[in-house]
Amino acid sequence: MNENIIEVKGLTKIYVDGNVLAVDDISFNIKKGEIFALLGPNGAGKTTTISMLATLLDVTKGSALVNGYDVKKESDKVRRSIGIVFQEPSLDNEMKGRENLELHGILYGMPKKQRREKIKEVLKLVDLEEKANIYTKNYSGGMKRRLEIARGLLHEPKVLFLDEPTLGLDPQTRRKIWEKIKELNQGDSEITILITTHYMEEADELANRICIMDHGKIIALDTSENLKKQISGDIIDIEFEKIEDHTKLPIIISSLKQLPNIKNISFGNSSQENMSLDMKLPPGINPEMIKMRMKEMMSDPKKLLKAFKKYPMASQMFLNAPFEIKKRISNLFTEDFIDQIPEGIKEEIIKIRKGELTESNQFSTPEISVSCENGSKCLSPIIQKINDNGLSIKSINMHQPKLEDVFLHFVGSAIREESSDRVKGIKSMIKMRQLRK
Amino acid sequence: MSDLNLLLKKNNFSVIWILAKRELFEFVRNKPRIITAIVQGIFFLLVFSAGFAFIGIRIQGISVDPRAFTASGIAAIMILFTGIFGGMSVLRDKMFGFMRELIVAPVNRRILMTGKTLGVALQTLIQVEIILCLGVAFGFFGYDVSLIWRLILVIPIAFLASVGIVGVGLTISTRIRDFQSFGLIQTFIVLPMFWLSGALFAFNNVPVPMQIAMMMNPFTYSVDLIRYVVLGVSFFPFWLDLIVMFAFGIIMIFLGAWSFNKMELS
Ligand SMILES: Nc1ncnc2c1ncn2[C@@H]1O[C@H](COP(=O)(O)OP(=O)(O)O)[C@@H](O)[C@H]1O
Ligand SMILES: [Mg+2]
Repeated sequence: MNENIIEVKGLTKIYVDGNVLAVDDISFNIKKGEIFALLGPNGAGKTTTISMLATLLDVTKGSALVNGYDVKKESDKVRRSIGIVFQEPSLDNEMKGRENLELHGILYGMPKKQRREKIKEVLKLVDLEEKANIYTKNYSGGMKRRLEIARGLLHEPKVLFLDEPTLGLDPQTRRKIWEKIKELNQGDSEITILITTHYMEEADELANRICIMDHGKIIALDTSENLKKQISGDIIDIEFEKIEDHTKLPIIISSLKQLPNIKNISFGNSSQENMSLDMKLPPGINPEMIKMRMKEMMSDPKKLLKAFKKYPMASQMFLNAPFEIKKRISNLFTEDFIDQIPEGIKEEIIKIRKGELTESNQFSTPEISVSCENGSKCLSPIIQKINDNGLSIKSINMHQPKLEDVFLHFVGSAIREESSDRVKGIKSMIKMRQLRK
Repeated sequence: MSDLNLLLKKNNFSVIWILAKRELFEFVRNKPRIITAIVQGIFFLLVFSAGFAFIGIRIQGISVDPRAFTASGIAAIMILFTGIFGGMSVLRDKMFGFMRELIVAPVNRRILMTGKTLGVALQTLIQVEIILCLGVAFGFFGYDVSLIWRLILVIPIAFLASVGIVGVGLTISTRIRDFQSFGLIQTFIVLPMFWLSGALFAFNNVPVPMQIAMMMNPFTYSVDLIRYVVLGVSFFPFWLDLIVMFAFGIIMIFLGAWSFNKMELS
């Protein structure tokens, strides 16, 4: 079974408005039954690629076959062959879960009997049988995602496209969705899955092969194992003591590069905090407005709880908020309310209330990641150089390459080639590492 | 020809119907909206008919009860309000992402649009009939057996009139991104069409420049036609009303279809 179900050749997309080269001459094949991941930071061109494969966007140049059909000429046949879960929510919240599926079945021309049976089957698959008759506006973020996956599967597509299926979900829900995706792929239907993600962990966990994309180009494409082999040797992660040392990083990196046996150095920042609101808001919603509303609510735990339940985004915003605000919010939730806090943020709030999380461990200290031929040999000259430059090390850690290091290796070097994009690139890279867990 | 084939495919009927049903459910399930429609109807009827009760209205030399005149006008206005804002449900679908689900399906966009238009047109029908029935209940139209078939005949007329209006809503909503333009649309499209339609005052009671402006408003003819059906009298010949209504409907639905086809989602 080495048949390709997707063949992409020289695919290119230029957005006319804005004159953006979003996808730049990419080629790859996906085998039948494979889970294939497109991994890359925000703006890499993943969604654009999927949109072209799903015939939602015109192809500027190049060609793509999906299930043997040309996306440019046979869009109806392509559409029948694919199921898609979009990056952004796409349920009708004014309808019940089952009605969303019903409508989908009719759109895809499924006869009534087949529709009924299939709806039952997919609902069971995603564990939503009991919630099928509830309006989807009352679903949690994870339930909505699962229903969207069920919907994508309803018409028995050959390929399932999942565009960032776990974006903004809490770790438990994410795990649950991973389980479902694996289950699907291992079932007897042999469905092929193309998933995009910017969580390295996710790609590593799910995909047979990973295609790393950045700036619209493919940077690397292989199995997770082989990608890791590509950077032989060791990785040394160094964390510096002072936050101010951020400014000195470029100097220290260029001086470390002069050492022998050093292959690559990239910025890293493993801290999860301090992340900005990195989420596409629906058009017309102003993040400032949300912040204002948050401020209003900041005095009433009941209102806050309601917001957390209604908008999954609110939890994400909480996690991203500065520590001061987190603390204020946490202190609002007295013992009576703790139980009602949504799972995704409960743990953090309890920790802050107990004083286990403090401001000092919220700020991120600078970190770099050095890849070198032989770690133990390089270690002492590296430390020497750092001391010479007047920086103090907080922690140092040597390990075998992980997928994440592979990513930094590839994306890091891609950035250096385009120095004008450097700052932007570094930012997205830092974000990537922050989003890791 | 290809359009005919499209319509004859059996599945397309089901798609049109489920999409229409979706719009209808949206309305019927929304209890506050129905209550608002009824209460607003009562309010409009009472206030406006009280306000205009002493103005003599003569159409084609026949004297008309001002309360019946305003009630039929208000019923016609429902087509305008519900039609345009119903057509804007495309915008809602765009904003909340559901439009992606629709346009990635192997269904022609003209079919999607037909379903939506049908649904909204049915919504407007309900609104129109609510007002007319309230009017009958208040005794504004007198009591006459002929009212029964008049209320029935209004159905196809109001339906056709709303098609053009829904087309306006569709065309607008495929072109804007958010509800911020709402005020502009209200001020520059809906309200002028409302005030210049003669729904609340008699065409022959206003100065000539105003009359000319009213004649340029395509919706004027729909109001006039509805009045012709309900009251039996109209300012313009009914065939002229029919022609304008059809022409406007056809133009707007083509414009709507064209915008809908061109709509890109990013
Ligand atoms: N409709 C659009 N018009 C113009 N530029 C766009 C549009 N959609 C995306 N882009 C740009 O194309 C690039 C790739 O975007 P996207 O495919 O969404 O990336 P990803 O899904 O990997 O985050 C980005 O630089 C983005 O700003
Ligand atoms: Mg994307």
